[in-house]
Amino acid sequence: MTSVPNVVLKARAIRKVFKTGDTELEILHGVDLDLVAGERLALMGPSGAGKSTLLHVLGLLERPTAGTVDIDGRDAWSLTTLERAALRNRHLGFVFQFYHLVAELDAVENVMLPAMIAQSSSEFRRSKAAHLKKARDLLASFGLSERMKHRPTQLSGGERQRVALARALFLDPPLLIADEPTGNLDRDTGEKVLELLFRAQAERSLSLLLVTHDERLAERCGRVLRMEAGRIAGAKAEPASLAR
Amino acid sequence: MYRVFLSWRFLRRRRTNLIGVFGIFLAVGALILILSIMTGFLEETRRSARGSLSDLILTLPPYKDARRPREPGPILEAIRADPRVEGASAHLGWMCILTRQDESSLRILIDSQSSEIAGIKLTGVDANDEKGSTEFLESLDRVGRNKDGEIEYDSTVGRPRASVVVGEKVMAYHRLRRGSFITLMTAVPDPGSDTGWSAKKREFVVAGTFRSGENEIDLERVYVDREQLARFLAGASEDDPVPSDAILFSEVLVKLKDYSGEAEAVREELGASLYKAGLIDESCSLRTWEEFRGTLLGAIENERVLMGIMLSLILVVAGFTIFAILSMMVTEKRRDIGILTALGATPNGVLALFLLIGFWDALIGAISGAVIGTWMAIKIDPFERWLSDTFGVQIFNRDVYLFDSIPSVVTPLAVGLIVLGAFVCTLVFAAIPAWRAAHLDPVEALRND
Repeated sequence: MTSVPNVVLKARAIRKVFKTGDTELEILHGVDLDLVAGERLALMGPSGAGKSTLLHVLGLLERPTAGTVDIDGRDAWSLTTLERAALRNRHLGFVFQFYHLVAELDAVENVMLPAMIAQSSSEFRRSKAAHLKKARDLLASFGLSERMKHRPTQLSGGERQRVALARALFLDPPLLIADEPTGNLDRDTGEKVLELLFRAQAERSLSLLLVTHDERLAERCGRVLRMEAGRIAGAKAEPASLAR
Repeated sequence: MYRVFLSWRFLRRRRTNLIGVFGIFLAVGALILILSIMTGFLEETRRSARGSLSDLILTLPPYKDARRPREPGPILEAIRADPRVEGASAHLGWMCILTRQDESSLRILIDSQSSEIAGIKLTGVDANDEKGSTEFLESLDRVGRNKDGEIEYDSTVGRPRASVVVGEKVMAYHRLRRGSFITLMTAVPDPGSDTGWSAKKREFVVAGTFRSGENEIDLERVYVDREQLARFLAGASEDDPVPSDAILFSEVLVKLKDYSGEAEAVREELGASLYKAGLIDESCSLRTWEEFRGTLLGAIENERVLMGIMLSLILVVAGFTIFAILSMMVTEKRRDIGILTALGATPNGVLALFLLIGFWDALIGAISGAVIGTWMAIKIDPFERWLSDTFGVQIFNRDVYLFDSIPSVVTPLAVGLIVLGAFVCTLVFAAIPAWRAAHLDPVEALRND
């Protein structure tokens, strides 16, 4: 008996058209994509192929012109703004190329930010000690024990990306979206960040959707999809487990 | 949670926010200080005007054929019979020219540009009646009173029948002192003469001065015994009985037990009953002291409102500062807004975050402004004296206003309204950049790099 794989993300017929005056520019031409729990998927393609746009649509940051994105069994783009924000908060973790940490907060505070957004002041105050412990443990496990109270400007690029990774993992989301996570780091530093990323993904059985230009990095993912002119090229967009 | 936490953190870490806070602080502090002083001026002026005018003023033009009592007695009796009346007294007013036996009087008379006053309003009073109807006796500080409240004249002058009490300013302008003689000249109706008028002149001795606190009165008013004034106007000598055709009074001042509660009712009812009893006619008028000084009080009140409106513009400028700072911050924080959205913040959450920055600006600025403004308003007089002493410049000329100290009245309602205004103004101006932040496209914000 074969177990049915748990689909974390299901995108169907995603189209995205940008309008500039009378001109319409179609960036995504009906993309289908599935991602199951614990899967590591790399999305590759030349610049302008629509990778980032697809990532933003799947990350619930940009509304598609047509198509559906199911996360946690719900059509995310048919939810209210509030429900979609909560879905983003609880089910998605983002790692950006340029870290995107809040400059006014120290490392621990940056890591706790998703919990601050998720909870009211009184709820957060009640669970603050637990949040602090969790944030410190995460940072310590990423080798940042000495950097807890440092602000982003006092951290190196690699350290900032590790803080950003800890922030993405803080609420234990089932899906991690990483956009060129090592694109702004040197080879050695990037490698260390990747090790942490893959280790966390494996330990937590997260689904990882990774956008990269790096072939060697893509090879370390279980599945690679290539985008060309707004379409998934060559391979099927569904995991092998589902294809069977 | 993040809205309060981040807004406070953004406020603390961005020094430019202090400019907005300082602007609100300055606007609120200045508004409270200036409006307190203006309110103080208004109240002080009201008090002064009340002191010299009593509560109700019955004006009776003294013409010969008037069909009403010539003596003030029946009218005073009728007025005092009203249980709501505290006291009443009769006055006789007449315009005069004041001269002295030296060149100064001539100089004042021929110099049209002179600010010194030659024309004065001679007011005949029954000094002891004044106690019940006005605060006049309180004003006779230089003359002094005995324990019964009667005027004590300087012993070196004695108590001449025709003595006068002059305003401090009149005393100074005419270089008078107690015991000085002044000559008062006027014209009175005289049907027997060709012109219908005849001139009268008499010498009086200065017995003392008064200070009402109202510039106009202290510059122009000279008090004299009412019967002596009646004799002077009728051409009778000081020791003669008052002639039967003499004008004895031109107005009656009435003091009420409860002015604020009963003034209007007493004015209407008393006027009607006096008219019905034949004690006054159509030519007479009964007015409250506020109606009498309406122009002056209205001018100060007007000035207070205008000052309030003008100073509110500082609040608007402070609001613009908040708008500019927050707009700049929204531009700088585009990426953070994108991150917050990616982490699960809603547009309303982002709106609240930037509105809260405006709220903190208003809270710190308005509260500190209210505290310092109120403190300054309370301590304005010693503060002004310290400034004047330290820098050797007279900031507030007490002689001009005839106030011993800068009047200042802090009203909690006004302070509350100013603080509320600061909050509303700041939040309105903060709402515009906050709305812009809430509607930023997170993708554009994150793609910025």
